[in-house]
Amino acid sequence: MADVMPAMLPTDTADRLSTLVDRHYDRLYRLARRLAPGPDEARDLVQETFLKAARSVASVPLDPTAAEAWLVRVLVNIRRDAWRKAEVRSRYDETVRRADSVACDQESALIARATVWRALDTLAPRRRAVVVMRELEGLPIASIATLLGISAVTVRWHLAVGRRELARFLESHGGRHDHC
Amino acid sequence: MTTVSDRLRDADPLRDEPARSDAERNRIRAVVLAAAADQLQRTEPMWRGRRAALVTALAVLAILALAAGSRLWSGGGVTVHAAAVRFEVRLAEIAFAPGLRPAPVVGSDRVIYLHPETIVTNDEILRSVVVPNRDGSGFGVAVTFNAAGAENMRRATASHLNAPLALLVDGDVISAPTLRSPISESAVVSGNFTQAEAERIAEGMRVHP
Repeated sequence: MADVMPAMLPTDTADRLSTLVDRHYDRLYRLARRLAPGPDEARDLVQETFLKAARSVASVPLDPTAAEAWLVRVLVNIRRDAWRKAEVRSRYDETVRRADSVACDQESALIARATVWRALDTLAPRRRAVVVMRELEGLPIASIATLLGISAVTVRWHLAVGRRELARFLESHGGRHDHC
Repeated sequence: MTTVSDRLRDADPLRDEPARSDAERNRIRAVVLAAAADQLQRTEPMWRGRRAALVTALAVLAILALAAGSRLWSGGGVTVHAAAVRFEVRLAEIAFAPGLRPAPVVGSDRVIYLHPETIVTNDEILRSVVVPNRDGSGFGVAVTFNAAGAENMRRATASHLNAPLALLVDGDVISAPTLRSPISESAVVSGNFTQAEAERIAEGMRVHP
């Protein structure tokens, strides 16, 4: 057996971090991709999450399920910070993008999908995470509550409000492709 | 009638995206390990300060003990020097090409082909400590290079990914791992050393022959 690692680290720390990445990378990317605007942002989000773990390895729980919840919460918090910072800018971008897509895009199916994704963009990250976990990942309410560290009642509330906000957005933007 | 759930599932970007590649996961792993090592190095000066204080205290105790002992026992003194170990890192190939030198990898039936240039030697080693192997199979040596060594390593390894790197001790190739990411400031050299062997190598690396 021979190995060279790119950096000098105590082996237990290197093992922990490697295991965290190997075990949770796919799961975090799937969530990040559904929370972030595009694949590049999703990759950055996952990387930033693992970097937080690297900077405070001792605070990551040893139990894999608890570690997953820790990472998910960090990921959602990072996304929330970025979302807050970009909120004003994205409102402007949204207006521009909407005008562009109406003028240029002839593919109604694509527009419909883009509209749904824009609707999701209007949800605050934690609410969006609840909607994504329930609607796209099919997780039970209790699991979502555990992952996000909130009560089941709060999960149900986010889900109800999120669905309502999405429906309202889609209703007001639904016929847009007819104009193309 | 199409529900919000249906529309969400239809718009899911993961539906049309290719599966994540191992390369991306490996990249993240390398970034994370490098960041953790960087974090460690930044917090280490404090630890080094404490270690220096501890070493000083032990040295004072040792001198006091020697002074006391010399009055009781006048046996001959013994000076122990760490035996120098000649350490080299070279790029290597798995197939022969003109100008390359074949070399067996100790403890295996592999033969690799060494480039003539040496990337780093003992002169570029700042620090070397014994660490247990990641799989618990034995011990290795964690090496930190000085600035010149780190730059040499970075330059050489960045353009040699997925090919072997040869680690030589006293001219023998003790391991020839395949480079998965560039190396610069530090590396962990893990072979199937016993703790005593690893300590001998770690100490010997710090001696400039």
